[in-house]
Amino acid sequence: MSTKQSPLDKLGEALGFGSETNEWPAVRRERLVAYGLLTLYVFVVWFPIYYIFVTSIQPTSEVLSLPINFLPQQATAQNYVEIFSNRPFETYTLNSIVVATTTTVVCVVLGTLSGYTFSRYEFLGNKALLLSIVAARMIPPIALIVPFFEIMSNPPLVGGLTGSLYDTRIALILTYTFFNLPFAVWIMKNYFDGVPRSLDEQAKVDGCSRWEGFFKIVLPVAKPGIAATAILAFIFSWNEFVFALVLTSTEQAQTLPIAVSLFVADDFVDWAHLAAGGMIAALPGILFGLFFQRYIVSGLTQGAVKE
Amino acid sequence: MTQTEQSTRRLLDRLFVPLTVGPTLLWIASIIVYPTAKLFWSSLFFQNPITGAKEFVGLRNFERLLFQSGGWLGTFNPDFVSYTWHTVVYVGFSVSISFVLGLGIAILLNKDMKGRGWFRTAVIVPWILPYVMSGLMWRWMFQTQYGAINGVLTQAGIIGEKIAFLSDPTLAMIALIVADVWVFTPFIIIILLAGLQNVPAQLYDAAEVDGASRWARFWNVTYPFLKPSILVALTIRIIFDIRALDIVWVMTEGGPGKSTEVWASWLYRTAQVFSKPGEGAALGVVMLAVTFGIVTVLYKLFGDTPYA
Repeated sequence: MSTKQSPLDKLGEALGFGSETNEWPAVRRERLVAYGLLTLYVFVVWFPIYYIFVTSIQPTSEVLSLPINFLPQQATAQNYVEIFSNRPFETYTLNSIVVATTTTVVCVVLGTLSGYTFSRYEFLGNKALLLSIVAARMIPPIALIVPFFEIMSNPPLVGGLTGSLYDTRIALILTYTFFNLPFAVWIMKNYFDGVPRSLDEQAKVDGCSRWEGFFKIVLPVAKPGIAATAILAFIFSWNEFVFALVLTSTEQAQTLPIAVSLFVADDFVDWAHLAAGGMIAALPGILFGLFFQRYIVSGLTQGAVKE
Repeated sequence: MTQTEQSTRRLLDRLFVPLTVGPTLLWIASIIVYPTAKLFWSSLFFQNPITGAKEFVGLRNFERLLFQSGGWLGTFNPDFVSYTWHTVVYVGFSVSISFVLGLGIAILLNKDMKGRGWFRTAVIVPWILPYVMSGLMWRWMFQTQYGAINGVLTQAGIIGEKIAFLSDPTLAMIALIVADVWVFTPFIIIILLAGLQNVPAQLYDAAEVDGASRWARFWNVTYPFLKPSILVALTIRIIFDIRALDIVWVMTEGGPGKSTEVWASWLYRTAQVFSKPGEGAALGVVMLAVTFGIVTVLYKLFGDTPYA
């Protein structure tokens, strides 16, 4: 078995399959197949992203020329410069940042506090309340576009004070908080369920009040859960399109997803500029995906799978 | 510590629960109960698109939505029938394709090997991009003259003439499904991978010693542990697909003709473009009911505790 190394063996070793020869062939071949299939999948999945990136760094004349250049002949930042000078892209970007950040902060603060209490305390109707929060996640948001449009155009309580909230960032923040808060509560509740209760009890023995115990002892342990909640809330609000489409109409409140869709005119699409705008809108997703994938996965699985 | 300090402290402690949960509940209640109630209420009115005057019409909006004018049972509104069918095709194909694909990739990623984290990162990204940008990206991929798909096919000599994907009813629906699968398969992968990691390794070893075949191992060892994850993945995926407008709207706007019009785009068109909020709200109520129906059925099939 160990006399001669086949080329496949060498490849296997280079890929880090270890050198225990008794593993070969079944297990190793299986891993090699897994690597092959996964690489193929990743290649196919990333190709569209690559293609829109290539489009974004080519001048329009080159984007609309045949045969298609899958490798850009002359890379340029022209499209990126132009969308900021011809269109209010800095305003769209700012709107997106303000809306997504505010929503994230509100969801994290309220979600963490109430998630903790739902995890630790029995109070009147706590089970029913938790269940209704979860059920709220099931409501299809699009079913609510009519009422949200009506409410934001003519708010019932603050109407006399502020007038219409239509086409304001506040309308988007309120709406996105509504859709993300139940999820935030759920993730944080599940996260705190995993934090040992003995910590709370120790804090109590040490003479901490409930608030001190929460802020000084339990909260620091919950940082990964908070990170997961924050990242998911941020991505969801940054990417949201339908409600932004219905609740805004000018650059005063329009966010990047809307800005990108505006490159599509009735019979004409400005592909080079759209690609540049699309890359900007996609940037947080790509960065979060590459650097915080772990938190996204744990947040999703905690929010979705755990009972 | 003075007496007052101590009693303030005790009071604050007693208020811990209401102060921490209160704002969330108030927020969610005011903004769930109210819009949902308003949805039902709006569905009972007809709004004159010119004057904006509202008129109470009872269940007339539902009647108009579901049935042909003047008739009741047996004479369904042909639009309703065809858009429902499009929704079923769209959701059915994209959910099942992405489920099978996602399960396969999750099983591959569950193997103990180097670079697994790297692959997981690469695989997750499509799901966290804005859906609008993904939809537009796929519209660009399927573009007739300069799109990458026609480019690859013609430049490799596979086809002679370029295909107008988004102008053909069937191909347009297929294009939507491709985009949808691309966007949402990562979600399935993550959820199923989490489920796979709950399967105790000793059980596999035991099954292997017993000489169980690959399929037997999957059905008897993996599947029971995977069931809760399958339930969650399918439920969320189906619910999301029924209501998702972004991709359909930016890729085809329901066209060509009305060949890719689904419930979500129909609702948006009715409520916004044609400014018939009453009918839009009625469709919203129908979607709400159908969603809860599907969730209940799925829980009956795969689990026993609804909404847990």
